[in-house]
Amino acid sequence: MSSVNSDNFLAVALVINRSRDGPAFVFHYPEQVQPTSSAIEQPDPNELEDILLERLSQPADRDGVAGTDSDDLPPRYWKHDEHIMTESGSQIVPWEHVAGFPARDLASILTPARAYHKTQFQLSLDPLYCVSYPVHVPENGKWKKAKKVDKDAGSSKAGNERTAPQESESAPSKTEEAPKDKDGKNAKDESDEEKRSSMTMFNLVFILQPRKHDVKGLVDTLYSNIVKKANKAYMYSQQHSDFVWKESKRILAAKEKAREEQKKMSALWKEILHSSSLAASMHDIYEAVSQNRIAALHLDTAAGLLTPSFQIPIPFYVPDIPQDTDQDQRGLWLTSANAFLSQDALEEPGFLDRNFALLLMDDEKKIISELQADPDMTTVSMVEFVRLSKPTMSFYQVAQSNVLTLNQVREYAQHFIFWRRAIAIPPLHARDVYIVSPNCDPRRLPQDSIEWQRLFPVAPPLPNFLSELSQSPRPYKHFSPSKAHRPSFLLMLAWLMRRGWVTQLCTFAYVVVWPEIIYEVDYEMEAEELAAAREKAASEAAEHEDSSHHQHRHSKDQVPTTPLSAEPVSEASSPTTATDSQPPTTAEHAAEMARLERIAAKAHHEATEKAIAHGRKFVPIATAHPSLNDALHLKGITPHIILDAKKATGLESRYLSAISARFKDEKLKGAWQTFCRYFDGRSALERIALQEDMKRKEAWNQLTAMTEYLLCTRHW
Amino acid sequence: MIQGIFYARFFPKEGPKIVAQSPPGCITSVDSATSGGNASSNLRAPLVDFDVLHEYIIPRQAFCNRYVTINCPEGKYSILGYPVLIPHTKYMRNEFIFNFGLLVEADVDQAAYEPVVRRLAATFSEMEKQNEYLSQSEGRPVESDGRGGYESRRPIESLLEIVKEDLNNYGECMIPVDEANTINMKLFPPHPNPPPVKGWHVPVSKTKFSDIVDPTWDLTLQKVISHIDGVSDVRRIAHAAHVSLDLAKTALRHLLYYDTILLLDMFFFGACYAPRPGIHDFIKNIDGMIDECAEYVSHGGRRLSNFHFVRLMTSFVPGRTVIEWLWAHQEAGLEVLRYIDVRRFVQFGLIKGLLYRVHKYVVSKQYLAALVSGQSHPVEHGDPIQKYTDGCHHFDQIITEQDLTDDEIVEKLKALRVSRGDLAIFYR
Repeated sequence: MSSVNSDNFLAVALVINRSRDGPAFVFHYPEQVQPTSSAIEQPDPNELEDILLERLSQPADRDGVAGTDSDDLPPRYWKHDEHIMTESGSQIVPWEHVAGFPARDLASILTPARAYHKTQFQLSLDPLYCVSYPVHVPENGKWKKAKKVDKDAGSSKAGNERTAPQESESAPSKTEEAPKDKDGKNAKDESDEEKRSSMTMFNLVFILQPRKHDVKGLVDTLYSNIVKKANKAYMYSQQHSDFVWKESKRILAAKEKAREEQKKMSALWKEILHSSSLAASMHDIYEAVSQNRIAALHLDTAAGLLTPSFQIPIPFYVPDIPQDTDQDQRGLWLTSANAFLSQDALEEPGFLDRNFALLLMDDEKKIISELQADPDMTTVSMVEFVRLSKPTMSFYQVAQSNVLTLNQVREYAQHFIFWRRAIAIPPLHARDVYIVSPNCDPRRLPQDSIEWQRLFPVAPPLPNFLSELSQSPRPYKHFSPSKAHRPSFLLMLAWLMRRGWVTQLCTFAYVVVWPEIIYEVDYEMEAEELAAAREKAASEAAEHEDSSHHQHRHSKDQVPTTPLSAEPVSEASSPTTATDSQPPTTAEHAAEMARLERIAAKAHHEATEKAIAHGRKFVPIATAHPSLNDALHLKGITPHIILDAKKATGLESRYLSAISARFKDEKLKGAWQTFCRYFDGRSALERIALQEDMKRKEAWNQLTAMTEYLLCTRHW
Repeated sequence: MIQGIFYARFFPKEGPKIVAQSPPGCITSVDSATSGGNASSNLRAPLVDFDVLHEYIIPRQAFCNRYVTINCPEGKYSILGYPVLIPHTKYMRNEFIFNFGLLVEADVDQAAYEPVVRRLAATFSEMEKQNEYLSQSEGRPVESDGRGGYESRRPIESLLEIVKEDLNNYGECMIPVDEANTINMKLFPPHPNPPPVKGWHVPVSKTKFSDIVDPTWDLTLQKVISHIDGVSDVRRIAHAAHVSLDLAKTALRHLLYYDTILLLDMFFFGACYAPRPGIHDFIKNIDGMIDECAEYVSHGGRRLSNFHFVRLMTSFVPGRTVIEWLWAHQEAGLEVLRYIDVRRFVQFGLIKGLLYRVHKYVVSKQYLAALVSGQSHPVEHGDPIQKYTDGCHHFDQIITEQDLTDDEIVEKLKALRVSRGDLAIFYR
């Protein structure tokens, strides 16, 4: 995802079109929009092979163009705040030039035709890049929706909310629906019917200056998360209380007046931002989005206060070490806990509840006081939730407290996560292993050392603690001097986790089938096969008296698995007797019979050989440590890795049961059956206990007893 | 793929108009009278709505002479253009405005086409300035009669068609427009700028340079390339090639830009490597990765079984050096060194994203405190080692920049004038 900052996000601008007066550039923020020429990536040197191109790619060329009315162009040294009177007597107004373009021209080009109504509008005017979601007045010319359509407006707002991740009723825009909205409206509706707004469209344009290779990423990120939602929020306010038009009129009037008074731009902007909540909301959008915060708007409409909020969701983890170039991701929590979630796991009810816990990103007391500062119906239970949730307790365990239902827990957790006050992590445990994250950001070390010292005055200094953690991976509890220190050490761990200093070192396993087991299973299967064939032969021998013809064909079919018995001689004679009883009809038949006979004899011979070979084979012996068995008969067999024990079928499932048979302990045998589903290289063994509701120690002991049959690898 | 190419002009009376386009009818529908014989095949609807888009193709003055792109409302196509305005009193309204533009799918990477559009604009505006190449036809439809109404001139429509076809099929075109002008263009795939090359990086070639280098290449580049062996770090290469370190870095960065090398770090038996989630692809032998590895690392003798390779690769863990890893396998009865080249084995793991190098860092608490308080040089004439003690510089960097061995660095650190227990070493 491309990160948005004030280098590539230059400004927001509101442009409207009017039925009589035409397009108008209402407002933009920040007041000074100067595309930085240094940020304009010069095309590759090899593209500039001739002067012609060089000249064209340089902004200086614009002077030549505008030569016709250079009189109106502001001088270069102009600071863009004061008004300038030119010699010809025309007045240059600072806000009438935005980002190097005349505002009236921008207003015209940024008010696209109805074809762009509620679709992406993406216009590049080198070096600027304008992205928006233009909103036109409905075909009937009325912004206000009739009562029956009210629901429709609501749904568009709901759609607005839906796109916010993990949004629920309690989440941010819950205050957006001002209750008085409905009541006050109906009465006024009728009277305002006549006064039709003459605004035909509005367009909140986001002016960007992306780096060349980054255009698509930046535009997509901003468009889907911010541009669309902001315009929709404005549309909602316009439909319900004519907000955008009313505010625009006020802003335009203020600008007109200031133009006459030759008011400084900075003064005018201060005034507008103060008096218009629309302008203020543009300020909020720009300031929040360019610093990658959550934009929470306050639109003071006639129908009540609207408080929509939107954000570009920030990633809170990375699944693998980012490239050196991706400095943005430095310091993020490194984990495969999310990336490794399989579809099966996600569909399994309760999986997430058991495997994740809430880690507050801020001080608990601070969050509680924030909650209490703005009380509503859910405040009490939310505070309770914050108090109950510990990073060591899964959501499931929090709900076990019986203070909150599991649904409440989920909903509140999502709320805190949306508002970036918390993240979901696998529950911390003192027996788990934590290492210094390869993705930690050492540039934070000076500041974080101080913070650490402040929070944990008796703990070893941060660099020393990290040093200890990073020497060789050990369960975390070993770092705590005594059991009494455990709780405070877990607090330290939570802090380290929050700041991205550490990550859990997990163990992932596959089942290894050692040659001894492979041999054993092969041997068994061969024996079974022979036994089955023998059985068949016996039953056939009984049958054979009745119809020798049939028998012949049959034995031919059965060639590969032909019977075999302890007395091969008598067996061998059976086909002969069959031919004897055959009535010799024609010579051909006799020849055919002889051929069949030869085949049968050969097959029989082979079967016998096979049986003898099997008989000569080394009878498998189960040793105490199959992995170390290097007996001669196992040479040439390489160990086999079962990639997903949960989905093993056929031969692999026989291997699994053969291994299971090796466990003498009944309990262990049972555990093997249960645990097998985690031996797929995706499930961290550390989390089995949570999932199976077992004691941590017990699960671990059993896993330890199984290690001989596991291939493990360890990473985050 | 270029879906369409067009030449648009502003006419003082009729307003903006598409004068020539290829394929015919891609921007505005062509009526049979003007399009020549094969009218019946051109009755398809235009791909975009010119009525909506003309204000971006022939925009107001203020937006001329710059690269302008617009997406069409359906979101399927984008128009890339460079409206040119030539002011001159000889023109009606004292100006001549035109645009040579491309129509491409909205989801393709447009960066490669920008130079093309700029080049078309540059060439034709220059030709217009030279001999009124474009305005000559003012008022007359360019394609009035298909059979060379103009003496030696190629109709613009067919010119555009060749440009489009050649760029789509060959990625480049070379078209003589008249005696003096030729349009030479090539599509270059855009690459992002590569990260800077550091002294401790070890370049590994991805291409066989010996096959592609020729004597016309940059001399420094040639010198540097001859020392890329997958073992030497940049500092060594610069030294061996008698090239300054900065030049060597620049040369390597150039190779990196074209994706012909990749950068690893120095291999030490005393260094530590650990698995990344990508290791599971190795275990599963995705795309025959294990066999590829065997090919790369085996030296003579018997090839180890796939299982052994998996065992070897998965048994790296943070906190265990390569030497310790070797011992562990030796104890288990596998003489790793007899079968494989360990350096190449580790390198394979790094290249494929199966392993990462666990680096070693040193932190001085005193120095950290100094950084916070703003005095970054707490010790007067501080030791050159001191600046590395903020935890942001791994030992590889100190080794290459200070030309010290690991042990020498430790000795130097001990000699630093800091209080006891001030230094901490951590790995990550």
